[in-house]
Amino acid sequence: MDLHSYPHGEHGRFEQIFNQFLLKSLHIILDSRVPMNRPPSRGGEIRKSDRWFNLVLGDRPAAMDSLSFWNRSLMEPMVIDIILVQESRYSLSEHDSRSTLATEMPAETVIERWVVQYEHQRSMAPQIGDAFYKKTYKKSIILLRSVYSMLRLLPAYKAFRKQQSFKQNCGFEINYKVCSFGSPLLRSEEESMKNYSFIPIDAQQGCLSVSVMYRKDLSDFNLDSCVSHPIEIISDYVGSPLTDPMRAFPCTSSEKGHSISFQTRGRQSAPPSPFQPPHSWSSGLQRELSSQQSQPYSASPPLYRSPYEYSSSPTEAYIQRNQNQRFPANQKAPCDEILSPPFSSSPSPSPPTKNVIPFHNRRHPETAPMSIPHPMIARSPRYLSPNLSDPNRNSLPPLSPRNTKHDSSSHESPSGIRSIRRLDSTRTGEMSNTPTNAGPKLSRDSKEDSGRFSSLLSSSSSPRVGLSRTSSRLSFQDDFGDCDCPFIVDDVDPPDNQTSSNLVARNCSEVSSLAPSTMKKSQDAAVGALVHMLKTAPPLRQESCYYNTQSSKTEFEGEVGAASEFFKPRKASDAFEELKVYRQMKDLLLSKSAAHLVSKEKTEF
Amino acid sequence: MNCEICQLKELDVEHFEIREVLRCILHTILFHRALGLVRPKDIDLELFEITYVQCGDVELERKTDEKIEQFIDRAEKHPNKKNQICLSFYEVKNKQPTWFTNKVERLYWEQWYINLNVAQHQKGHSGKSTSSKIVVDPGAEERTARRAALEASLRDVLFQIIRFVNEKKDHIPPVPNLEGVSFPYEITISSSSDSAFGMEMFKRMLQTGNPTMLS
Repeated sequence: MDLHSYPHGEHGRFEQIFNQFLLKSLHIILDSRVPMNRPPSRGGEIRKSDRWFNLVLGDRPAAMDSLSFWNRSLMEPMVIDIILVQESRYSLSEHDSRSTLATEMPAETVIERWVVQYEHQRSMAPQIGDAFYKKTYKKSIILLRSVYSMLRLLPAYKAFRKQQSFKQNCGFEINYKVCSFGSPLLRSEEESMKNYSFIPIDAQQGCLSVSVMYRKDLSDFNLDSCVSHPIEIISDYVGSPLTDPMRAFPCTSSEKGHSISFQTRGRQSAPPSPFQPPHSWSSGLQRELSSQQSQPYSASPPLYRSPYEYSSSPTEAYIQRNQNQRFPANQKAPCDEILSPPFSSSPSPSPPTKNVIPFHNRRHPETAPMSIPHPMIARSPRYLSPNLSDPNRNSLPPLSPRNTKHDSSSHESPSGIRSIRRLDSTRTGEMSNTPTNAGPKLSRDSKEDSGRFSSLLSSSSSPRVGLSRTSSRLSFQDDFGDCDCPFIVDDVDPPDNQTSSNLVARNCSEVSSLAPSTMKKSQDAAVGALVHMLKTAPPLRQESCYYNTQSSKTEFEGEVGAASEFFKPRKASDAFEELKVYRQMKDLLLSKSAAHLVSKEKTEF
Repeated sequence: MNCEICQLKELDVEHFEIREVLRCILHTILFHRALGLVRPKDIDLELFEITYVQCGDVELERKTDEKIEQFIDRAEKHPNKKNQICLSFYEVKNKQPTWFTNKVERLYWEQWYINLNVAQHQKGHSGKSTSSKIVVDPGAEERTARRAALEASLRDVLFQIIRFVNEKKDHIPPVPNLEGVSFPYEITISSSSDSAFGMEMFKRMLQTGNPTMLS
């Protein structure tokens, strides 16, 4: 809210400080007492209003924009009444036995009254000078801190939190009224209230004071009888990928994906409410449109368990969103000039104001904003690609991943395909590391998960080798990937050259027989083929039932040895050896396919 | 410049309550002394229905938690003793270097003493019931009452802090920086039988240069 230009000189500066103090204190009080619907604050951005008194509160309530502060004189106090509204039933005709109409009338009780005012003292000599107003400013910073803390200690805070948590089901509402005078309270009300006055701050020719009158005990209002949040049925619930990884997620837009992920743990399903009607300075009681209320602040998960059973207060949500924000670096300056108010521009010579008020200059790697990786995706590369850090891994020659030809050339260099797949999967993992990513990526992730988990089911020993085998077979399944087919590519540790080549040859022959047919099948058929491959994959353990009877004992022993060798740290030489193996596999596949074709031709004739 | 000292009300706590109580008190004090740009962060205590405010400074939280852990360790090593934690704010004054010393002098301008009486771990009830089959924990009511009393006392301590912070403002020195807690501070731990603690206190009193003492 822009304030009009102030008078020049000392008086203008003090008036600006005082008006900003009023705004700030009103902001603090309303934020801590009245749940309001506000547009989400622009994360990390520091407004000029936040710089006043060095207290970042975020967006001001819309109601404050309409308060005509500039029309007020300095002498008028600001009285903020916090009113508890409850429905009370009473019978209209108690003496009429025929009709006993009961109507509900809201009972309004002032539970807190805050008074912020400038008390002019004529006898006081006017205090002038830069040092004085800076001192006043410093003291007002501390005073606002105290007000902020005090608001959380008073009994009304509990009511505020309850209303924030339970919304319409708490049986009461909290409203406010801002006036330049306080309506007289009943004697009974005054007796039940306690007074606390903060120590006034010496101002130009008077003092700035804040006081509060509050009800000591709110137990009479029976605020604890709140109905818990009604059970809401989420019609488009799709579950969590953590609990149901095999489930395919619908390919939706990014926003829908976002909303789905929040609905699994969030409490709200209603859209944000529209703009609230403005409140005037001297108007009467203003009510929140409860039917339009929602929970804009519950978008962020609760920070901690709370006895109030709430999701998050507006301040917490704001803070959580901006917790890891770092302000620009501090510029060292003389002591008293650092703490100076950010006055608005005026012709009068005003003290130098800092355009940037620093916050942190230290880097905390542990608190830097980090995207939460998808656990499955994050886990899989580590499990499946232990040598991802090996730079030679990526140096293997890549092959075309999307080869639709039905010949063995598409099976060339599985390692190359694996490297492509791994790169793709890594990229996909990085991109889709939060539940808020686009829908298509979710679908890809589901496929990736399904591929990974199906391989896990079939492999009875080290998941790495089993998965690698799976991924090598999956790489031939072109039905999976017009998308980037994020099957996790593993680094296969070839046992021996001979054994590995035999194994691969066998696998490739099986796959080559399958590949022409599976390409034409639907996605389900591809999954079935995958399962088939997994079932026929040679096991890693001796007791595995999927062990191919054709393999020799030496092959098996070599495989076990390979499994043990798999866990050894790998070097470049290992990579080169593996490259050789792959090349041998390629040659073998080529020769086998050629032989197959020749034999086929012969049979036809 | 005088050193303002605030002795907070003594609290009777159990071991598992120390962390929350100390965090609440320390951060409330530090929030009032962080005069730079802060994003207040509301924290709900888990054991009590109290909400306090933090500065939102990660480094501050880390240092505070570190000291609290030290306090807890000390309290475990010295049971049945009143333990005290002192939060001091000071100014750094460079002394004129001499042949022998080139030290930096600390002028303490505010000290907060948090006194905790840590109760010893109570042994579990033996469970000997005479005739009743239903096992009733006789200590539950006592614990509930004690917890409620502690919550009220903690709330009183927080009010005490707010009152002190508002009453005493003139002694606050110029703000040296706007990062986190604006003033250099230190947190020291001691127990009632610690003789070194008394010496430390005496040293600080000399360092503050209270004119009434020197004259």
